[in-house]
Amino acid sequence: MNRREFLQCAAILITGVSASQLGFTLSAEQTVYLAAAPDYNTTPVNFFTPVQRETVTAMCEAIIPRTDTPGAIDAGVPQFLELMVADWLNDEERGIFISGLQDIADRIPQEYGKPFSQLGPQEQLQVLEALEDAASDSSWYDLGNIQQVYMSDAPFICQMKELTIWGFFTSEEGGSQVLRYDPMPMYFDGNIPLSPDDSSWSNSF
Amino acid sequence: MIETKQYDFDAIVVGSGISGSWAAKELTEKGLKVLVLERGKPLEAGSGYLGEHAPNWKLPYQGKPPRELYEEDYPVQSKVWHSFNESSRQFWNNDKENPYAMDEGKPFLWARADVVGGRSLIWGRQTYRWSEQDFKANATDGYGIPWPVGYKDIEPWYSYVEKFVGINGKKENLPQLPDSEFQKPMPWFELEKTIQARLKIKAPDVTLTNGRVAVLTEDLPGRKACHYCGPCYRGCSTGSYFSSQSSTLPAAEATGNMTLKANAVVERLEYDTESGKISQVHVIDAITKKRETYSAKIFFLCASTVGSTQILLNSASEEFPNGLANSSGTLGHYMMDHTLGLSGVGVFLDNMDSYYHGNRPTGLYIPRFRNLEGQDQGADFLRGYGYQAVTIRMDWMTGINTKGFGAPLKESLRKPGPWVFALAGFTECLPRESNRMYLSKDKVDRYGIPQVVFDFEWSDNEVNLRRDAQKNADRLLKAAGAVITMSGEDGMSLPGEGIHEMGTARMGDDPTQSVLNAYNQAHDVPNLFVTDGSFMTSSSCVNPSLTYMAFTARACDYAVKQIAQGNL
Repeated sequence: MNRREFLQCAAILITGVSASQLGFTLSAEQTVYLAAAPDYNTTPVNFFTPVQRETVTAMCEAIIPRTDTPGAIDAGVPQFLELMVADWLNDEERGIFISGLQDIADRIPQEYGKPFSQLGPQEQLQVLEALEDAASDSSWYDLGNIQQVYMSDAPFICQMKELTIWGFFTSEEGGSQVLRYDPMPMYFDGNIPLSPDDSSWSNSF
Repeated sequence: MIETKQYDFDAIVVGSGISGSWAAKELTEKGLKVLVLERGKPLEAGSGYLGEHAPNWKLPYQGKPPRELYEEDYPVQSKVWHSFNESSRQFWNNDKENPYAMDEGKPFLWARADVVGGRSLIWGRQTYRWSEQDFKANATDGYGIPWPVGYKDIEPWYSYVEKFVGINGKKENLPQLPDSEFQKPMPWFELEKTIQARLKIKAPDVTLTNGRVAVLTEDLPGRKACHYCGPCYRGCSTGSYFSSQSSTLPAAEATGNMTLKANAVVERLEYDTESGKISQVHVIDAITKKRETYSAKIFFLCASTVGSTQILLNSASEEFPNGLANSSGTLGHYMMDHTLGLSGVGVFLDNMDSYYHGNRPTGLYIPRFRNLEGQDQGADFLRGYGYQAVTIRMDWMTGINTKGFGAPLKESLRKPGPWVFALAGFTECLPRESNRMYLSKDKVDRYGIPQVVFDFEWSDNEVNLRRDAQKNADRLLKAAGAVITMSGEDGMSLPGEGIHEMGTARMGDDPTQSVLNAYNQAHDVPNLFVTDGSFMTSSSCVNPSLTYMAFTARACDYAVKQIAQGNL
């Protein structure tokens, strides 16, 4: 049994004799144990057109690229984005997202002679920065916006960044290979050294 | 005298949360056959905690809230942002299935659990003793009626429950916050030590101490010391924090004297005119809607403040037309809750090269420092407040709207940002007759039971307390060395949002002014005891659950002695 399997079973194993003797019964709807469920971003979805999917994939990788650690594609962010756009965004938000995406798919080949996904890194950055410049008045960029509530009228580029960053740092790759992940710390120490290159902990919420 | 009456049980306890599970433990350990009735769903300790230890990538939407579901089914519970999400939703009430009402323009947040164990699974675990000053507050300033109990009466019961609960904290010898029986305290962040050193010089009027919290730092029988995984509200299969499931229900079960029924909705208690006592309880099965009755010698209402008061109001009879045990007319009135909310937030650039290991399941605490005996004569408020202090290292979540793209963005988001040290004031609430709950005349729930209606507003005293808490938070954060301070949000927390609702069946020596006597026994009905928050005669400013536990244990001791003496 590896560490991960141990964690998945830990609750059941550690429960101990006293609790299981209680004999409370589980009802049918209470049998999904989340830690043993499939990763959310492996849920099947087929919402984007092939061109939209290719564009989204290239954009999220340009926002969080692979460096010496995994990037957005490695972390399944394109699938996460497609799921969130299909299932989680409301009609207004989905409308903003899809029209923003369609604008990239239509406009970039006219301006650059090839689609966003085939642009070089500098050109991709130029496109993204232009979008951000045009959106910079949005209250999405306010200091006080700490994402407790999703901003329904956020411009396309802000939606794209929020879902990419969220999807990346809450994924297994982003959460455990880019951030530091330790689900069983076993003790608390409020003073361990932090080197300039160290990552944050991946925290549960 | 010949004992002829046969009972189904010696005692019936309504509710399996913090108070009910304590009543179950105490009464069964004293040899009584006890039926525990819980309106919520069954829940098995450990294996029933479906969200425990689930990493973010396993959660639906990787942790983003399912907004439509929450708006539709959980519009109230989903406002409890600190402990309600997809990893814990199974424990909470479905608002659509179990609605309540509010008077026009007077919002009230009624946070409810819907499982065996009740809110003990999702509570904040902060545990503080009341002081002598707290018990004397009403008598001193004239708001509310005097408590019939003093600190010395309850002190041994605090000790008794604390040893079983397992509380970690630091001895401070403060008169306004007596020490508990402590396990070894949890360590501090380095920044907290820096802040403490500065406050000692620049703000010597306050004490910065550990949050006193019902989480183990040392093993107890059947329970393990904390493993610091973080989100306690998902349930803890190692029993490291006190809950009914981890602690009191297993103890009651071990006696062989407990019968526990889940999905058992108590409709009302039946008063028997001849004996002057409650004879039986009427129960509706939440699934089958089948009705049953159970009789017992004594009845303990521990269904939460609002739940127990609803049952008493719904048990009106010819003898008690305004609600059972309500000859005083005070039942449902004098409701209180603590206001809470961020009083101030400070950003710190100290100890930037110091980090942490593990997720400490509590913050720090600044005990009440205003209106202590012989102090603050000129204050524009009565009573006081305490601060719960939270230390956070900022991370990607607070930088999600940073400008930029690519590797530089990824680098800046993956690394820790500055420290934040925030003070959240919890203020005492005065007991006022006009703050009340009552039963709706036209709205019923799915069992045909009249819905609860809330009619509650903060008074000027709570507003002034909160303003003072904001002003002092700014002073303290500056003294602590914050490079930026921000004042907490304006306005008051929603009534109920403190989830410390209490006081609707208050205790007192005068039966014309109170529902219960000093032992949580109804003045009007000797075999009825109410030991959840509804007995509270004033509110103090500290988190109340420990006080409910101590009074419950004391009431059980008294009730069993009364039975032995032939009085019940």
